[in-house]
Amino acid sequence: MDKQLARLPDAESRNYRTLAISTAFILLIPVWARFIPGDVLHIDIVNVMVLAGIYACVVVGLNLLVGYAGQISLGHAAFFGIGAYTTAILCTRIHGFPTWLGVLAGTALSGAIGWLVGKPVLRLKGHYLAMATLGLGEIAFILFQQLKWLTGGTVGILNIPPLSMFGLKFDTDLKLYFVVWIIVMALMLLSINLIRSRVGRGLRALHSSEVAADAMGVNTSTYKVQVFVLSAAFAGLGGALFAHFQKYVNPESFVLAISIMFITMVVVGGMGNIWGGLIGVLLLTFLPPVIQALPQWLPGLPSGLQNFSNYELVLYGLLLILFMMFLPKGVADGLGRAADFTEVRARRLGDRRKAKRLEGR
Amino acid sequence: MRMGDRNQVRLLWGAAALVAVVVVFTLIYKGSTGLQWILSGLTVGSIYALVAMGFSVIYSSTRVINFAQGEFTMLGGMMMFTLCTRGGLPLWLGFLLTVGIVTLLGAGFERAAIHPLKDQSVITVIIVTIGLAIFIRALAKWIWGTDPVKVASFTGDKPLRFFGASIVPQSLWVFGLTLIAVVLVFAFFNRTLLGKGMRAAADNPDAASLVGVSASTSSLVAWSIAAAVGAAAGAVIAPINFAAYDAGAMLGLKGFSAAVLGGLGSAPGAVVGGLMLGVLEMITAGFAPSGYKDAVAFLILILVLLIRPQGLLGKPADVKV
Repeated sequence: MDKQLARLPDAESRNYRTLAISTAFILLIPVWARFIPGDVLHIDIVNVMVLAGIYACVVVGLNLLVGYAGQISLGHAAFFGIGAYTTAILCTRIHGFPTWLGVLAGTALSGAIGWLVGKPVLRLKGHYLAMATLGLGEIAFILFQQLKWLTGGTVGILNIPPLSMFGLKFDTDLKLYFVVWIIVMALMLLSINLIRSRVGRGLRALHSSEVAADAMGVNTSTYKVQVFVLSAAFAGLGGALFAHFQKYVNPESFVLAISIMFITMVVVGGMGNIWGGLIGVLLLTFLPPVIQALPQWLPGLPSGLQNFSNYELVLYGLLLILFMMFLPKGVADGLGRAADFTEVRARRLGDRRKAKRLEGR
Repeated sequence: MRMGDRNQVRLLWGAAALVAVVVVFTLIYKGSTGLQWILSGLTVGSIYALVAMGFSVIYSSTRVINFAQGEFTMLGGMMMFTLCTRGGLPLWLGFLLTVGIVTLLGAGFERAAIHPLKDQSVITVIIVTIGLAIFIRALAKWIWGTDPVKVASFTGDKPLRFFGASIVPQSLWVFGLTLIAVVLVFAFFNRTLLGKGMRAAADNPDAASLVGVSASTSSLVAWSIAAAVGAAAGAVIAPINFAAYDAGAMLGLKGFSAAVLGGLGSAPGAVVGGLMLGVLEMITAGFAPSGYKDAVAFLILILVLLIRPQGLLGKPADVKV
């Protein structure tokens, strides 16, 4: 059994292969989505996929922090918000401000604030870190609401121009789709390279035992802050794209529930598995539109269940509980085990046939 | 007396002095208005204390932070509305039923979803409690709608005068019930075999299980107590605050901050933390623009964590190598 497992392709070359395949697959989605008329699925696939890509920017970074470095954050909606507000303020207040520069500024500012906050807060461990980040996220939310001169209060900022780059204007979902997903794939490539680098090995050592990692010469406090800054910057980038996608921002998009949604995506998909984060994002972003479309898919639904908004979150909560109960290590882990299992089974089956043939001779 | 204890005593005096200074300043500067703020602060603080106690009890026996704790409190208020205000049941019966049903719910959830995950990582269990919170909130929205409901006061709405400030009779119910709940929980943990066993298990789970304290029973009892205390808090505060399906999230966060302030896992800490937080919050709301009221809890949370993560009354976390 062990020998057979050892023959499986190693995780790292698998990662690059998977990245290439999934990039090709994802970039082709709008093409085949065209062949499904909108009134069959009742889901605007491209639109939901843009949102998923935006969330994926955040979750890829958060997975590095939570899954690899083992540091929990329950406040990443704050960084998402900082990115969104930065570009929104720059592009609406300064006439003709290049939107791509706004996105970069959002990313940078979010990373910088991540550094300022991360330095003191990352001295905390485990639950205490979770609580501190939760508190920071709430404070950021209150500031988004209360700094009316800057953020427009609860109304927020309206009329954010669409993203444009090199003279191209990404003003439809379809055009934005390609920008967002190319960025996601670039972030994935960066992450894959990071986790197989010296830093990545240090982070994993940090995850299993901070003291041991320290003793082995891993500069744990620096590494923790660095990966926190990286995840904050990724979240800021996602937020900035979100602002240009939604065309308006208000504090409601950056509440605690969103921070929790990000961490949930990481955990449901699979902590410490770079693909897990992506799977978690896709599952949880598509879940609400699928639940919304249910009454149209099942016209025979009793009238009490026709109004999806009643039970949308009931189902969501229930599914979340069930996912964690039956796949506590995440969907990616379950899929990986299933794949390994079938591969080993197939080889065993092949071996047995070979043995039979030899016996028959 | 160990060194740590002496520091803790000094810290407690410091915290008490700080609160005293703030309170005295408010009283001198604002007179009866200030007293009014402090009385409201003690009222909400009692509720925070009960919610914090729920967090602490579950945390100390399972190391899990129960994100659905605030939802138990919300359910307490909503069920009082259905049973007493709408259903016309006598107060005591409605109250007992409310607490009983929510306790069963908490216990049932523990058996159904928390117990099977006992060997999984803490974060997995936390996500399950988040799922529960979303589920309960959505169900409550489905059942009771989005409009806040007004629950009838236990004994009338005629305010009592108290040194120039007024206090609604319901506040006295809140104080009384908090006192009873705290005494009951303390008695359970200090006087009964099961309670003492649970404290032992919180200190050292392996040693406790060697002498026959069942982790599974501990977890079940902890969830039941947390649900009961939470529901009682919700039932008694509902006539003062409106009860609404989405009230649980903020109550949960505040109770959580209070638990951290007092020391997560410490029941006396939960009470001290809750009352302190309630009073400081109401005084801030009086002086500063009220939009920033909620920020107080979180600022305190972060300051406490940075200065003394184990809180006022907690024990420093064991470092495992």
